[in-house]
Amino acid sequence: MHIHQLVTRLAWGDAIGNQVRYLQSLLRSWGHTSEIYADTWDDACRDQVRPAKSYPRDATRDSVLLVHHSFESKQVPLIARSRGRKLLVYHNITPARLFEGYDRGAVLACDAARVELLALRPHVDGAFAYSRFSAEELAAAGYPRVAVLPFAIDWHTFDTPPDPALMAELDDGCSNILFVGRAVPSKYVDDVLRVFTAYQRLYQPKSRLLIAGNIHRDAPYGGFLHGLKDLLGPDRIQFLGRVNAAQLSACFASATAYLSMSRHEGFGVPLLEAMYRDVPVVAYGAAAVPETMGGAGLTTFSREPMEVAQLLAVLEREPALRKQVLVAQRARVAALSQKAVAAQVRTALQDWLGGRGPGPAVASSQAPAIELVCPGFSARPEAPMSRLARELHRRLPDSRILALRERGEEPVLSLGPQEIEGAPVWHFTPDQPVGPPPEPLPGSASLETAVRASSGKVVLLGTDTAAAQAVLAGVGRRSWGVRDAAAASDEASTEAVRHHLGPRLLELDRSDLDAVANALVQALSSKRGARHARR
Amino acid sequence: MHAADLLTAEPTAQAVAAATERLPEPSAAARDQLRRTLAASLRAPVAAQWPALLLEARSKADVRYVEPATSHRPVVGPVLVFAKRTFRGAFQPFINEVLRRQVHFNEAILDALTVVIENQREHARTQALWRRELEARLKQLEKDPPGPSSP
Repeated sequence: MHIHQLVTRLAWGDAIGNQVRYLQSLLRSWGHTSEIYADTWDDACRDQVRPAKSYPRDATRDSVLLVHHSFESKQVPLIARSRGRKLLVYHNITPARLFEGYDRGAVLACDAARVELLALRPHVDGAFAYSRFSAEELAAAGYPRVAVLPFAIDWHTFDTPPDPALMAELDDGCSNILFVGRAVPSKYVDDVLRVFTAYQRLYQPKSRLLIAGNIHRDAPYGGFLHGLKDLLGPDRIQFLGRVNAAQLSACFASATAYLSMSRHEGFGVPLLEAMYRDVPVVAYGAAAVPETMGGAGLTTFSREPMEVAQLLAVLEREPALRKQVLVAQRARVAALSQKAVAAQVRTALQDWLGGRGPGPAVASSQAPAIELVCPGFSARPEAPMSRLARELHRRLPDSRILALRERGEEPVLSLGPQEIEGAPVWHFTPDQPVGPPPEPLPGSASLETAVRASSGKVVLLGTDTAAAQAVLAGVGRRSWGVRDAAAASDEASTEAVRHHLGPRLLELDRSDLDAVANALVQALSSKRGARHARR
Repeated sequence: MHAADLLTAEPTAQAVAAATERLPEPSAAARDQLRRTLAASLRAPVAAQWPALLLEARSKADVRYVEPATSHRPVVGPVLVFAKRTFRGAFQPFINEVLRRQVHFNEAILDALTVVIENQREHARTQALWRRELEARLKQLEKDPPGPSSP
C-alpha cells in the first residue's frame, strides 16, 4: 500500500520532522511505499523529501495521505484535489495570543492554521492526535472520527555519546538546570530564567542554567531574553543556541534537573527525552504536559518562580525523593517502549485502513441555536457571569453553555453535555490550569474552536476573558457580548471588543442581572438578531 | 509549595510539599530583594496594533487596487468613469498577476520593518528597566548603614 506523508516544512531536528521520518521508516519496514512531501525543507533533508505540489500527480485511488498539521500550510486546496484517502495527524497549533507583542507574523499564521483546521474537515476521512488534549480540539471542531495515536519516539537517537569538551566544561561541581527548545514566546523561557534566578539566590548559589535551542537575538523575544538575563542578574546563564546530538547528550548527562515553564505543548518530546536520560523533570502543567508526564516527574500548577524553585531545590537536597522521581520516570518511559508504541501505531493505522476506526462522534456536531460562552461557569460558579449564564439558559432552553474544565480534570473526547443545575454544559480543557480568583481565566483552544465551528448565535459572557478575545474576530456579527466593568482591566482589549461588537456589547450591572438577561433575550429573539446571525 | 499545586503520583504531592517545607528558610531581605527584581522583570502588555510609523505604508502595500474612479467633468465625466471602470474590470486579473510579486515584496518589507521596530522597542524597554533596577539598588546601598571599614 502507498502511505505517504504531507508536511509544511521538513526540518532537521525538530519534533515534527523527527516524527515524520520515524513514521516513514516504520511504514517502510511494514512493507508500504512511503514518501514525505513538503513545501519547504532544511538543506540537510533535501534527499528525504519530494515537493508537495507533485503529490496530486503521484497520488492514486489507493494512496493514503497522512496530513501533518501544526501551523499555517496553505495546503488545503492541494489536499482537496488529491486522489485517495486522507488522514489528518494533528500536532496542535500554538494559541496565537502567546505570540502577541512579540511576533505579528506568528499571530496571523497561528490564527490562519486554526481556520485551516476547520477547512480541512470535509477533505479527510479521519483524524489522529498525539494527545487527548489535541484530540479534544478535533472533536470540538466537528471531526467525525478522532483517535489518539501514540507518539512514536525513536529512543535510539538519544543514545549518542556526549561531547567530551562540553561535558568537561559543565562538569565542574555546579548544579546544572536544563531547558531544551527554541526560544519562542510560547515556551516562556523568560519564566525559566526567573525560576532559575530564584533558585540561585535562595537555595543554590553554585548553579548554572543551560538553554539549548535556537535563539534569534535580533528577534524581539530573543532581545527580550538577553535583556532579562542582565536585569535579573544571576550568574552562569548559558544560551547554547542550536546544539548537535553529542552536545545535547552532554547537556543532559550533566543536568541536575530539567525545567519547563512552557505554556503550550501538543505533546512535549523533550520532557520524555529528559526522563529517558534519567534527569528529573519539573514542568508547568499547561496544555498536554500533564498527559505527557503521566504522573511521573514533578508537574506543578504554580508558575510563581519562588515556589517552582523550591521543587528544584528538593530534587537536589533530598536524594530519597529524587530517587523516587527517577524510578517513576523510568516506569513512564518503559510504558512508551519503542516496540510497544510501534505495535500500537501499526494497529491504529490498520484499523483505519481496514475501516475499523472509531465511529463518528455525535457530541459537538449537534449545533444548538445559541452558544453561551461562559468559561468560568464550573470553576467559578458563583461569579456574576456564571449566574447570568444560568439565568439565560433558563430563559433560552435551546442554548448550551460552554465552559472550562476545572483544574486537574483530564481531557476527554466526549465533550458533553453534563447536566449542572439543569443546564447542559460542554466542558473544554483550558490551555493552562485555572487559577484562583482574581487571576484571569485562561483561554482554551478547544472551546474557541467549538465556537468557531458552530453556526449558532454566540453570547460571550465576559468579553475580557481570553477565550472571548480569541473568538471575537471569527464569530463576527452572530455574537453578543456582556462586559463586567468591575472585572475588566485592559483598556486596549475593551476597545477591541467595542470595535467588533458595537451596539451588541452590553454592560453588566452586578446588582441587576435580570436587566442584562432581559436585554439579551430580547436581542436574540428579535428578527434583527436572527438577521445578524445569518450573516 | 502546596500539595494542591502539584500533580505527581510517585512520590505523592503531599510528600513533595512536605519536602519543600523542610527547605531552609531564606532570609527576609533576600526574599524581598528577589521579589522586587522579579516584579521589575514582568513584561508590560504591548499593544497588538501595527506600529504607527508603518500604518500609511501598510495602507498602500497592496498596489493591485486603486481608489474608485471619479471625474469632476460635468458631461464627459460619467463616460470617463464608466470607461475607467470597464477597463479596470476587464484587465484586473492581468493587473493582479503582474503586480502579485510586488505586493508580496511590499508585505515582506513591512514585516521586516515591523520586526526591527518591535526589536528596538524591546531593547529600549529593557534598558529602561535595567536603569530603574540599578537606581533602586544604588538607593538601597546608600540607605544601608556602612559596615565596619576594613583595615
